[in-house]
Amino acid sequence: MIDTFVLSQLAIGVSVGMTYSIVAIGLTLIYRVLSAVNFAHGEVYTIGAFTTLIGATALKLPLWAIVPLVLLVGAAFGWGIERAAFRPFRKFTDEASLKSRAVREATLLSSFALGLVVREILDQVYHGEWLAIPQEYLLSNPVSFGGIHLSAGELAIGVVSVVMLACLQFMLHRTRIGIAIRAVSSNLIGAQFSGIDINRVVVAVFIVGSLLGAVAGMVVSLAYGNVQSFMGLTVVIKAFVAMVIGGLTSLPGAVIAGILIGVAEATAGIFLPSAWTEMVAYAMLLLTLLFLPQGLFARRRA
Amino acid sequence: MSRSGVSVRLAFAILLLALVPALLAWAGSPYFGRLAQVVLVAIVLTGALNLLTGTAGLLALDTVVFYGLGAYTAAILSVNAGTSFLVDVAAAVVLTSIVGAICGFALVRLTSIFFAVATMALAISFHTTVLNWGDLTRGPMGYRGIPPVRLFGHAVGGWLESYYVTALFCLIALFIMHRVMHSFYGNAVRAIREDEECALSLGLRTRLMRVQVYTLHAAIMGAAGVLYAHSNQFIGPDNFVMFESALVLTGVIVGGIGSLPGAVIGGIVMVLLPEALREIGNLRALAFGIVLFLSILLLPRGLFSEVRALALFRRDMPNSPWSRRRRVP
Repeated sequence: MIDTFVLSQLAIGVSVGMTYSIVAIGLTLIYRVLSAVNFAHGEVYTIGAFTTLIGATALKLPLWAIVPLVLLVGAAFGWGIERAAFRPFRKFTDEASLKSRAVREATLLSSFALGLVVREILDQVYHGEWLAIPQEYLLSNPVSFGGIHLSAGELAIGVVSVVMLACLQFMLHRTRIGIAIRAVSSNLIGAQFSGIDINRVVVAVFIVGSLLGAVAGMVVSLAYGNVQSFMGLTVVIKAFVAMVIGGLTSLPGAVIAGILIGVAEATAGIFLPSAWTEMVAYAMLLLTLLFLPQGLFARRRA
Repeated sequence: MSRSGVSVRLAFAILLLALVPALLAWAGSPYFGRLAQVVLVAIVLTGALNLLTGTAGLLALDTVVFYGLGAYTAAILSVNAGTSFLVDVAAAVVLTSIVGAICGFALVRLTSIFFAVATMALAISFHTTVLNWGDLTRGPMGYRGIPPVRLFGHAVGGWLESYYVTALFCLIALFIMHRVMHSFYGNAVRAIREDEECALSLGLRTRLMRVQVYTLHAAIMGAAGVLYAHSNQFIGPDNFVMFESALVLTGVIVGGIGSLPGAVIGGIVMVLLPEALREIGNLRALAFGIVLFLSILLLPRGLFSEVRALALFRRDMPNSPWSRRRRVP
């Protein structure tokens, strides 16, 4: 017999895991196109949460107006990351130099540095404190069905994630730019010969990934009511873990692995003190890298 | 091709053992003495990371793991068991070598970004462990009242004496790293960095050599941690957050990836820059982000590039087989 407390914990784990999935999708999209990791991606998530905070406290916008604001800021920030940390190192667009080790490591460090700068600016401005979203914006009403107790926010995370995944699937399969993204990630030279502009695709990937990340930040801040300048760091590392477990280039893999991590953390939370649950994702990363370097869902090695 | 009489190594030793103490004595304030020691420890850390990240080409963020392991070994042993400095160093070197060999064995099969993220996970796990294993590490309180360095039954007091201990230690560590990097062995490690398959085909045991380099870097960092614990007399989990690793990596990159003089320059910059910025406020991390970013963008080879460093030491060591000029027929 599984009692309802455990089921509720698992449901919360799924909802937390979905935020990892959504952030992981941004990383995976970028990895598929550039074979590089965007270490500033966690700051997209933080920026989404802070935009929500500013929209709710300083601008006093209603909730329906905060959503487009977050989308706009997220997209602009993604474009800015590409412009500042990735574009300067992409001097040629042939495959060998685009995915060369030097460029990959330089962009890893430059995006890491950019993320650090953004994080520290937020830290300086808000003094590194946990800031609260006003009560009336919070999605904290309890929801229960079949004995599983959740807050509305946790349910909203799940619903919004599913909606975003559906939108992403639609975009990748039905729109011109989405098809271009898939073309570039599956065969770069072929895509170039078909007249696809690589730079446009890279920018599009950053914008789409950042939109998803910013919305995840928004929903999480509305669900839990807390915003802090370092909140993106742990999430992006777990998203990276999800990406590795999911096989680096596979979007469904990243989603499933993200949920897996969330559930594993929730399960560990039942048995372990909460401080140690942090370690679960890192242990999973090390085990995956050591025993399944291809990941769980790899189709081919990129 | 040697200019006789000019030795970079000798000049550096004289600088460290005579000129800097003279300057410190002239300045006459314990603050500068303390600062000089922090710089020396930082130089050892950037040098050790440079061995791994520069010579072996593995981008690592795990400095705090071994540095912290060494520092906590020293703290726990000297506070609880009252051991002396050399015993602490020996214990820390043994422990970090073992842990480094195990971690290295597991990690070296990863390359580039995966190695970087795995070491980052290691660093965060270390911080979490230190913070939560209260029985052993005293959790967030940290260790206070670590006794100062004791050598051969003599307590090292005063900033000048402790400066000399640190400087000597730094010179020994730099000498070890210098001999490893500027040797046939160092060349082989560089060959693995440049092309692993090619090095393997030439008969180099690439994975084993990477584990060796990883273990060596861990041991040197562990010893640096002991020195830090004894000279600071207080350590806590806040000294070993992941950001400190990023700081050391910044030092390596700004100085010049793969060059030992670059690592020395990087270590100096890394400590003195935030000290200079202290007036403005707590902008240390922000300044580092900007410096790292600009350095990658504008100075990708660093202030003192690897090629220049290798040329320098070839000229400096004219009689070693490593630097003999061979004519290609």
